[in-house]
Amino acid sequence: MSTQDKFGRYKTFVLVALPIVVILAPLGYSLYEFVFAREAPTDAPFLEYPADVEGGCVRDTEYMRFHHWELLREVRDESVRDGVRGGITLSGCRDCHVSRDRFCNRCHEAVSLQPDCFGCHYYPSDAESGDGGGAHGAEEVSTAWTGGTS
Amino acid sequence: MTEAGNTSRAVLVEPDLDFIRTLGSRIGPEFKKCMQCGTCAATCSLSPESASFPRKEVIWSAWGWKDRLVRDPDIWLCYQCNDCSTRCPRGAHPGDILAAVRQESIIHFARPRLLARWVNDIRYVPLLLAIPTVLLLLLLRVRDPLAAALGLGPGTGERIVYAYSSHFPHWLLNGFFLACAALVLLGAVLSARRFWRALKTYLEQDMGARKVQGVWPSLGAALKNAVRHDNFAVCSTAHIRYVSHPFFFFGFFSLSAVTLWVITSGINPLIRGEFIYPFAFWSPWKILANLGGLAVVAGCVLTIRERLFGTAYNTAGNYYDWALLITLILVALTGFLTEIWHYFRMEPHRHIAYFAHLVFVFALIVYMPYAKFAHVVYRTTALVLAECYGRKRGTPPVAADAARRALIIGETPGTPPGGERP
Repeated sequence: MSTQDKFGRYKTFVLVALPIVVILAPLGYSLYEFVFAREAPTDAPFLEYPADVEGGCVRDTEYMRFHHWELLREVRDESVRDGVRGGITLSGCRDCHVSRDRFCNRCHEAVSLQPDCFGCHYYPSDAESGDGGGAHGAEEVSTAWTGGTS
Repeated sequence: MTEAGNTSRAVLVEPDLDFIRTLGSRIGPEFKKCMQCGTCAATCSLSPESASFPRKEVIWSAWGWKDRLVRDPDIWLCYQCNDCSTRCPRGAHPGDILAAVRQESIIHFARPRLLARWVNDIRYVPLLLAIPTVLLLLLLRVRDPLAAALGLGPGTGERIVYAYSSHFPHWLLNGFFLACAALVLLGAVLSARRFWRALKTYLEQDMGARKVQGVWPSLGAALKNAVRHDNFAVCSTAHIRYVSHPFFFFGFFSLSAVTLWVITSGINPLIRGEFIYPFAFWSPWKILANLGGLAVVAGCVLTIRERLFGTAYNTAGNYYDWALLITLILVALTGFLTEIWHYFRMEPHRHIAYFAHLVFVFALIVYMPYAKFAHVVYRTTALVLAECYGRKRGTPPVAADAARRALIIGETPGTPPGGERP
């Protein structure tokens, strides 16, 4: 029944130094971002909204922000299963929200979501459509941690 | 430090029969089999040399001397490594007795005590789970009227892509859980104050101990001991906890750090622009949260394995042990389930998992401080007072044991546990 210290001479490292470094690392990162952020947040909006379009969106902003995926799913089921077509379509979205990079992907990347809509549906990103970007360009959002490229 | 001053004073023991019955129901009738041989106290690596435990606590338990046991700091110096129980020649399970006495001590000092009784009784589990479920469902019902009354719009800002806020907005969860935590904290402070005074009285009057160190240096020493897990290191039978407890300890700290960062995001000057939540997968905060969650799961797995299949414990543990363990693992698993279902866009699964997660988080922060989780306050308090009054562990008994065996049977002593320790 040996009770020799499991961590031996690394005890202080394993039980004190390492946990402190790991637990404080995100704070250190946030401090670094705060002090040495590449540039201060610009006035560019996080989501690029279209100029006033007649009629507005299919639902109000708050609904679209938190439930647009449910709406799209409903529409998909209606058109695929019931054959009801011609209502809301993704290309209809694209009429106003011209840039996937500056609209859809902003949120999706910020929360590490990779929806599979665009695997089939035509909704080109700025690079694919050859569009160099609008007024605000395709600049990186420095404070948003992207979960990989879209 | 000695009890010599008190030996001449006759003390009338008034047996608390309910207490004896309670202990019996938790440990089994064997707990009265003790013949006071003192093997337990001699074998304990944590026991001080004078008035050592657990021998005296075992006989006090058999006498039903609850009044004295609940304010005995020694029960909190025991880490239930069961070095004593495995060597007890009568099978009286001293380690389990001290664990059961700790549970009674928690209930004794808890405020409100009724809640402590419910939390420590398995029959109340359905009621206890129904309370947060009903409260959270009520919150969902009052969310919109409350938001209107407080003048809060449904949106929380341009950059908040809070996928759960359609159901539980941030302000609602923060308000609810902070209010609960504040009430629990108030109860904990009141309990800790009573506990501190009772232990001090015990040490000074019943034990005749004198203060050898101030409170602040004692607090420093106790915290150093807790972080470095020094007392776990010298336990030999349930030695696995020297690994599993750091997982719980640092996992819990990690998750607390991330939670603090999230709930203070509104007033945090370091956050430029608006706060993006949930975090992206590779955000440093998300990495810390995931590591913390994994650490808690690892701690649970190691502990459950030892309880079910290991040899360190006499029994698989009772409700007191499993309540905290199961709450912790349910909090961690529902948390990971929410995260995974979120990434896989499972609707409404992720909302259901999140709801369950909130129910178990409620159990962890509201109920568990009235059960085994209370050790965070009570054990720390007892360790501080033990430092104050110089109740330190004596010579490592296993080392002494090895030396004795070397003398008698010519066995070469190996490296004794904590042999290099002063």
